[in-house]
Amino acid sequence: MKESSMIGKNVPRLDALEKVTGKAKYSVDLNLPGMLHAKVLRSPFPHARIIHIDTTEAEKATGVKAVITGRDVSEEKIGFIRDRYILARDRVRFLGEAVAAVAADKVEAAEEALELIKVEYEELPGVFDAEEAMKPNPPVVIHPDLYTYALAPNPTPLYRFEPDMPNVYIHRQVLQGDPERAFRDADMVIENRFFMPSAQHAAIEPHNAIAQPEPDGGLTIWISTHQLYLFKLNLCRLLGLPSSKLRVVSLYIGGAFGGKSGLAVPAIAGLLASKSRRPVKFVLNRDEVFLDGNNREAMTLCVKDGIRKDGTLLARQMRLILDAGGYSGTTALVAKNAAFGAIGTYNVPNFKLDSYAVATNNPPTGPHRGFGSTEVVWAIESQMNMIAEKLSMDPMEIRRKNLLREGVVDSLGMVTHSIGAGECLDKISDWLGTVPATPQNEGAWRKGRGIALCNKYTIGGTDSNVFVKVHPDSTLEVRHSANEIGQGCDTVLAQMAANEFATSIDKVKIVSCDTAITPYEEATVSSRITFHAGNALLLACKDAKNQILQIASKKLEAPSDSLEIKDGVVYCQGDKAIRIVDLFSPKGFVPGGGEIMGRGVFSGPRENEDPDTGQGKRPVTYYAHGATAVEVLVNIETGEIKITRIGSCFDMGQPINPKLCEGQMEGGMGMGIGGALFEEIVFDKGLTRNASFCDYKIPSSIDFPTKENVISLIAPVLHSEGPYGAKGLGEGSLLAVAPAIAEAIYNATGVRIRDLPITKEKILKGLNLLRSSS
Amino acid sequence: MKKLIQLKINGETAEVAVEPRTTLLHVLREDLGLTGTKEGCGIGDCGACTVLLDGKPVASCLTLAVEVRDREVLTIEGLSKDGELHPLQRAFIDHFAVQCGFCTPGMILSAKALLDRNPHPVEEEVRQALSGNLCRCTGYVKIVEAVLAAAEYMQSQ
Ligand code: FES
Ligand code: FES
Repeated sequence: MKESSMIGKNVPRLDALEKVTGKAKYSVDLNLPGMLHAKVLRSPFPHARIIHIDTTEAEKATGVKAVITGRDVSEEKIGFIRDRYILARDRVRFLGEAVAAVAADKVEAAEEALELIKVEYEELPGVFDAEEAMKPNPPVVIHPDLYTYALAPNPTPLYRFEPDMPNVYIHRQVLQGDPERAFRDADMVIENRFFMPSAQHAAIEPHNAIAQPEPDGGLTIWISTHQLYLFKLNLCRLLGLPSSKLRVVSLYIGGAFGGKSGLAVPAIAGLLASKSRRPVKFVLNRDEVFLDGNNREAMTLCVKDGIRKDGTLLARQMRLILDAGGYSGTTALVAKNAAFGAIGTYNVPNFKLDSYAVATNNPPTGPHRGFGSTEVVWAIESQMNMIAEKLSMDPMEIRRKNLLREGVVDSLGMVTHSIGAGECLDKISDWLGTVPATPQNEGAWRKGRGIALCNKYTIGGTDSNVFVKVHPDSTLEVRHSANEIGQGCDTVLAQMAANEFATSIDKVKIVSCDTAITPYEEATVSSRITFHAGNALLLACKDAKNQILQIASKKLEAPSDSLEIKDGVVYCQGDKAIRIVDLFSPKGFVPGGGEIMGRGVFSGPRENEDPDTGQGKRPVTYYAHGATAVEVLVNIETGEIKITRIGSCFDMGQPINPKLCEGQMEGGMGMGIGGALFEEIVFDKGLTRNASFCDYKIPSSIDFPTKENVISLIAPVLHSEGPYGAKGLGEGSLLAVAPAIAEAIYNATGVRIRDLPITKEKILKGLNLLRSSS
Repeated sequence: MKKLIQLKINGETAEVAVEPRTTLLHVLREDLGLTGTKEGCGIGDCGACTVLLDGKPVASCLTLAVEVRDREVLTIEGLSKDGELHPLQRAFIDHFAVQCGFCTPGMILSAKALLDRNPHPVEEEVRQALSGNLCRCTGYVKIVEAVLAAAEYMQSQ
């Protein structure tokens, strides 16, 4: 790499100054002239028929400018299986489903008007347990018309309906080899059942959108999302607007983690704005975020493995049951993609997976950092520890023995490339082994350690588009539509641009996320931006540089391949040179082309998969790999758990900015500790019992070990198609935390936990069982 | 019934018309355009709305505007003086303690209150002082680092 390289450098975040001074703008900060405030009325029943809605009184209330119900929304529905109206029409399928919305000049006026809306319901029986719901004769069928619903065009559905199971949204299957036979041949077969509860992303900024009517009959909508163009596509459909009449803008996003993927908030704001002809702001209260914020589904996982005495994995069979809730959200796709996480680390020649997304009358669910991988990694890594124990093998050894290696075909038929799992395992276990030991068992406290591996796939077949405009002052204006959700994509893309032009970071300006001026980006999901937008950016830079070189070559009378751009100057071998500014006419115009604007389009690899077996050449674009190591102290009298040490090592390919990677790993470890020890949305017959930060605890600063006891390491294995060899990281950092903690707890106490979260009560119960059986 | 009251915000006097139930957070964000103060929950659980009232951190979503009449309110917008960043702001940038930034204003103000009353905190004290400010992005590692670094820097001045 050249000396001027910006790659692998800890460039300070571009957005940090704005954010520490309070100047950074989020959509929720906008206050438009004449702006109204929206609130929605939610169903008090988990399952009911709507007989009648009367909004007359609400419409007359002071300050109210518009009221809408299911009658006002279009026929178009949302979800990968199109099963949900923006506002319920004839039926509600979860407690908290929106049935009417009001826009008023004040939040309070909107809230008061909601109380004037009269809804007559006829309660229906509900089903709240996914396993009960998926039976052939369930107590109730939640979507009687399921098989007539349309499917989202993209991505290709690789699953099927199960007519014998009327509440199953989809069934996804993977098959490789002959698992049945391999189980017969195995020296040992081990089978376990695991559970991961429903969880909230808990981004600190609540979901919000502001819609403003435009003179041409269209709308501009500012949205807190991580799916700018996907939202535009769907909102056009839901609001009946042609593409040219809907402008979607995102400012900074106050955290997302998959949660800001629901279309109801911007669609309701848009409908109310169209009806009132006034700007409308709609911000969810925190409890509404818990009720309808695209929570992660609860998943039950059964894992059966066939193993040889020497620890070689011969076969694995998995059955996943996802409680998708009253609407399928993106959980139909989670059921599909969970297979990627299940096969990404180990070499299992005989593999079978059946995954079911099931309708219940719990709240609908959606994508959550990991998108299915958090759940399968929890189960598989726990299972690996149990296998090691049964065979009296070192848990590290059994992992090393079964790891996929470069060039090996995985259980989905893809050739493994760029796998740093082994390096991550070595580095993190070295760290755990060499850090000074904490106090040993003392009083009632028992110490234990655990390590787990993980992988995170990035989906295939997605596209990115980036523009790079070169200003007469030689500043590079990078126009992209990846959402800055805190991960640092603006900084990473700026570093790449500066690197390509051999210039400094202050010569890069970011213009992002405005569909009127920034180009198509599929979505800021699946840890794909560094790779996809990065690749598009490199192409855009190349294009812009070519344009510069062509003009310069004429001016310098030298062939363009003898020219080089550095710090805003085009150099020619020898001593000839011309500044970029001098390529422009005094009026700021480039003779011939008008302006220097590079365009880059990158399409991720696309290959068909077999719909029955899931087998394909390239179902996944790449995998990031990682390992987490944990040390805990557990109090065997109270069940209390202290994380005394935690570290992760990841292979994200070439790190563009190592400090940002550390930030992702630390954040992932934090979220992982929450998921392992306390996070669980508790339902009681469809009622969400803990819809607040008080009742749903997320980690605070005192739940994390002291700083010398936390580490983030990097073990890059470059990817041949990545920009500078980079892959992705964001989601992966959370995945190995829960199984590592569970192993550490087992190591400390002998209590094996299969159902998250690992509460004091579960530990005490486990200890009692151990005592009574010994 | 609305009432006119005077508030001292970031060293300047502001006159606003409020109802008895209007929160300080609402006045800051909606009436005065000081949107650096964030709302994460509105019920005192997250700390995003933290401002300093006579130097002490309070949840502005739980504080009534009428209560703060003639008292000193400091928001994130008032922290840097004449374009000069406060050492905490500098340290948050240098230590990569910011990600999405939504918790950042409240976090920095809680940290300032700590350093004002305890200029040499140990790590445990920093963690305690920030425990009411939730951050979902960072795992708090770099935030704690930044606060300790700022304390050290301020001591060396
Ligand atoms: S908004 Fe005030 S504490 Fe959350
Ligand atoms: S930086 Fe996002 S919540 Fe703290």
